[in-house]
Amino acid sequence: MTSISERPVDVAAAGLHDLVKPDEGAVSRTVFVDEAIYRTELDRVFTKTWLFIGHESQLSEPGDYLTNFMGEDPVIATRGADGAIRVMLNSCAHRGMAVCSTDAGTSKFFRCPYHGWTYSNNGDLIGVPRADTVYNGELDKSRLGLKAVPRVETYKGFVFANWDENAIPLVDYLGADQLWYLDLAFEAPLGGLEVIGPTMKFRIKANWKLAAENFAGDDYHVLYTHGSAFQIGFLPDYDMLADYIAHFDHGHGMGDISKPGRAYQNDVGMAQFLGPEAIEYVTAVHERLQARVSPLQAEMHGLGEGNIFPNLSWIKFGVFHVFGLFQWHPKGPGEIEVWQTALFDRGAPQSVKDFARTQMSQENAAAGIFGQDDGENFEQITESARGVVSQTRDFNYAMGLGHEGEVHEEGYPGHLGPHYSEQNHRNFYRYWLELMTTPGEQK
Amino acid sequence: MTSSLTDLRRDVEDFLYREAKMLDEQRYDEWLGLFTEDVRYWMPITETREVRQHRDHVPGEWSLMEEDARFLAKRMERLAGGLAHSEQPRSRTRRFISNVLVTPGPNGDLVVECNFIVFQSRRANSEQFFVGSRRDRIVTSGESWKIAERTVLLDHRVLPRAISIFF
Repeated sequence: MTSISERPVDVAAAGLHDLVKPDEGAVSRTVFVDEAIYRTELDRVFTKTWLFIGHESQLSEPGDYLTNFMGEDPVIATRGADGAIRVMLNSCAHRGMAVCSTDAGTSKFFRCPYHGWTYSNNGDLIGVPRADTVYNGELDKSRLGLKAVPRVETYKGFVFANWDENAIPLVDYLGADQLWYLDLAFEAPLGGLEVIGPTMKFRIKANWKLAAENFAGDDYHVLYTHGSAFQIGFLPDYDMLADYIAHFDHGHGMGDISKPGRAYQNDVGMAQFLGPEAIEYVTAVHERLQARVSPLQAEMHGLGEGNIFPNLSWIKFGVFHVFGLFQWHPKGPGEIEVWQTALFDRGAPQSVKDFARTQMSQENAAAGIFGQDDGENFEQITESARGVVSQTRDFNYAMGLGHEGEVHEEGYPGHLGPHYSEQNHRNFYRYWLELMTTPGEQK
Repeated sequence: MTSSLTDLRRDVEDFLYREAKMLDEQRYDEWLGLFTEDVRYWMPITETREVRQHRDHVPGEWSLMEEDARFLAKRMERLAGGLAHSEQPRSRTRRFISNVLVTPGPNGDLVVECNFIVFQSRRANSEQFFVGSRRDRIVTSGESWKIAERTVLLDHRVLPRAISIFF
């Protein structure tokens, strides 16, 4: 008879190294539901890594702002009169009320609705009602600005922030190997990328890691979870789309990487279906890539999807696909607030823009045929992980164990693996474990 | 209100109630038959903005749904195929339609506005309400009424769940 107490569920008694064993392809379900582990994640993962804030096209003019979350901390990102982008905690230094309650807009200042404390859009406290009398003129406004996120850096228009003053630069965190691929999405657009509408937001009652690890390279699930998409002819045979996955330092992972030439062929085929403007477009983009990236990158032409650790996933197949970003904002161990941002080439013909935009909402979005089926999986996995017996059964990430490093494609950087492997999940949890077992300094 | 407009509104309400019933009973083929072949089905994303920075929904921006009859039919084909996990088993839904306003337009078209509440119960205890308004352009030709344009405005900024049902 199988014992049901193979593993202690008591987190205090079991170290994280006992719960998360990437090299054995085993991760305890406990880490997807436990409140204490979740609190530790907010502290040791979400304040130590570079988190996506927005795209420069959303903050094009001085005074523009947008709101976002870093872990569960609400933040405002602004472009100041000096042109600099700043990110600050969206919480009044007085008694914590949010000073901005909107998605985005333009403002020189933020006024707290509670007592009227007013901050400039660079975060300085510039107004306190009756300060001279109620504080006897003794209030030191210079110490009571909105808490600034100390590090804000941008890569090719994408703004990230990090609470860790000593963090390595964004470009090193993303890493040259990962950027070798991602640059295809950033360099291909004829007129630059722009955000093409509001952020789409919806909830999934699931642990955030389930979504992140999925985008990090769980190409295996596409075959069945998204079987309906193949059934109705929304996608061609999946094995026609891609060949590899790859993982990188700092937990990043990428799926649906194709051999040189394949993505371009797929795009040319798609263009023939879409019409003359599309044919011209794919030719122009390909020529642009040839001029701007290495010959091998240009030959690779298109991407797939991936996850920038911890919780920024993206999808970008060929040139007719929107560059879609997914922030898996954690809202407790059992809930995600998904924020989806869609970007596309400002310089594409209108017919191509129309195709890409509608295709994305039909595909990987709140009402998309991929998005809704993924959410169903993540929810029911999280639900099952709450049971004490369930928690004695580790999740199994063993695919490809003992066979890593067997796949090669000349010139492709990163740790390449076959199309179907759980090497990227293991890489995700390896970095997660490293961060989770590194105590942070007092903040 | 003239009696003919009252009659018209009653007919429109009847049309909308029958449509709601089709969806609640998952009679999707019949539901598809209510749309013109060139229907535009649009569900923009709701935003939260300052009072003086309100922005109307802009056609051509990324939306929750932006469909034509072909893709609506594809969605139905998907549901019928047995692999649509988000609706396998099917959600129970109950639709409530109210505040119906009818404005006769040119060529016998009707502009129909209404409010809706849709209750969705999934599996055991996944339950949510979707609340919003709709604006339809219905083309009429004798007894035949077809929806040529539908705009669905959900009031939620953060949707309670991914959308696997229809509005």
